[in-house]
Amino acid sequence: MYEEPGCFDPNNSMAEGVYSGFAQAMANNQKQFEENLELSAEELSYHHHNHQEDTSVSAMELELQKYLSFNVENCDNNTYRSHMMQQVVDDRNQLLSYDHSNWNTGDIGFTQTPDLLNLFQLPRCSLLPNSSISFANSNHDTTPLGFIEDLPASDSTSVLYDPLFHLNLSPQPPLFRELLPSIPHGYNLPTSRSDANSLFGDERDSNGVKAYQDEDGGMLEFTRDMACIVRGSGNGKKKKPFTTERQRREHFNKKYTALRNLLPNPSKIDRASIVGDAIEYTKELLRTVNELKLLVERKRCGRERIKRHKTEDDAVGDVEQSYSGSLRSSWLQRKSKDTEVDVRIIDDEVTIKLVQRKKIDCLLFVSKVLDELHLDPHHVAGGHIGDYYSYLFNTKIYEGSSVYAGAIANKIIEVMDTEYAATPSTATSI
Amino acid sequence: MEETISPEMEFLGSASDALCIAQARRRQVYDDNSMYKSKNLHAERRRRQKLGDRLLALRSLVPIITNMNKATIVEDAITYIQMLQRNVKVLSDQLLEMDSLSVQEDEEPTRDEINASEQMKKYGIKEDVKVTGIDGNKLWIRVVFEKKRGGITKFLEASTSLGFELTDTNVTTSKGAILVSSCFKGIYGNALGVEQTKKLLQEIIRNM
Repeated sequence: MYEEPGCFDPNNSMAEGVYSGFAQAMANNQKQFEENLELSAEELSYHHHNHQEDTSVSAMELELQKYLSFNVENCDNNTYRSHMMQQVVDDRNQLLSYDHSNWNTGDIGFTQTPDLLNLFQLPRCSLLPNSSISFANSNHDTTPLGFIEDLPASDSTSVLYDPLFHLNLSPQPPLFRELLPSIPHGYNLPTSRSDANSLFGDERDSNGVKAYQDEDGGMLEFTRDMACIVRGSGNGKKKKPFTTERQRREHFNKKYTALRNLLPNPSKIDRASIVGDAIEYTKELLRTVNELKLLVERKRCGRERIKRHKTEDDAVGDVEQSYSGSLRSSWLQRKSKDTEVDVRIIDDEVTIKLVQRKKIDCLLFVSKVLDELHLDPHHVAGGHIGDYYSYLFNTKIYEGSSVYAGAIANKIIEVMDTEYAATPSTATSI
Repeated sequence: MEETISPEMEFLGSASDALCIAQARRRQVYDDNSMYKSKNLHAERRRRQKLGDRLLALRSLVPIITNMNKATIVEDAITYIQMLQRNVKVLSDQLLEMDSLSVQEDEEPTRDEINASEQMKKYGIKEDVKVTGIDGNKLWIRVVFEKKRGGITKFLEASTSLGFELTDTNVTTSKGAILVSSCFKGIYGNALGVEQTKKLLQEIIRNM
């Protein structure tokens, strides 16, 4: 029965009350409006008779009634209509003095209106100095939609809409303020089907229309805010972020380049490659983190064990300090302009693959690096293959060294690059 | 592309109606465009799918996710990668710190070195140098020496300083000895004879 517009978060009940009401209004049948038209004319006259002394107040009341009628519209229109007619006739004199409390209790039957009622209660207290304003006609659900539609026909309509407009723009308690803007928004929609639009156009100056549009954006903003708050996500952008598609695209591309800048081996610039590289890099980072954690753990265990041994006066050092149960494994690749390094570690064996484009004396430099990093080369093989110099180093980590894959790769690349930069193009004597 | 075109071809082949032929003719006119279009379309579709698949894969890696749309996938990945990088830095700093505190390492290598020379003696491996000439000024060497920490580096350094370059190289360690078999080249075009090279190498090994 109630249709919630998809743009807002249903968790906020207050907003829901209003929005769902207008969703309903939007979903209402045109037919119902027309049916109400006939009644509305009579009511209009009635209302105006009664409220002539205070047109603004009365108009506001009528507006409020209209809002309520929106909500109630989908309930039993026919029965209520007749009921209302009768009440209008009977209680004409009591309209202004209708007790507000009655209003509250009387509306329990309507599942929707309590929300709206609560809504209106707040502003009512703060806004309206005249507490005599009653929601008397709330029981009469159909202060009809048609009433609004009928307005263009009558002269007094202008009076009716002014206070509404006034309501929107006057400083109000924030709660009502936030919600009220939505009301005319919803208000607009059914009336747009009729000629009421022109009325709005007439009555509002350009400011008014703008106000509606702003509020429209404001409404969206509000709901999006709510959505953000509810989800607890740090989306960062609260307002409708991009006015043009181009801005959106640019922002999007900036994100991609930002991602690319994080990556150590950026190659292509197209999105698919960036994402692919990011995937590989993320996996590599995870491996590195695990490896480092393991190393730290081992170190700590080793130190503790050593301390224990010292206290126990054990002369022989514990060789197995480095084993903490799990196998250390890690792998990463680094690329620079001319060099490509692949480092794989399993337990204490490190395999380094090096591919070098330019002619540098790789063997010597890498061997030095290995010594620095406490790696013991067991096997080295490689040479000149096509355009490249490719070498494979099988090394073992000396006991006690806590070198990790990232460090190895970075160091090698660094050395390669510096050495290449240092040596001018060497004489090729092939 | 083949699949899309062939049904049309079949259609053309089996057409007997005037209507069919007319349709086929019309289709032929479109065919050129549609062929290119469909090729492009397929390529574009594949490209988009590739990107989509990869984005999903990226998303599956990142644990902290907010919304499920393309923009946020990239955003979340950025934050996650940055977080991981920070973790790596913290951990590696921690490791460095621990390293600086510990004084463990000095004891271990000496033991290895002791083992090496013992092993060599045990297996009867002797230090050795063999040099042969290959065409041009290429030489091929085979050197065996005792394994030491940084031994290979020393050997390489010495060779380089003498103007030699090891091209296709193979270095193996076994039983406490290091075997180097490599192509030896004179960088500066020196055509050192085999004997001279051999002597030099022996000298190097002796001084290691």
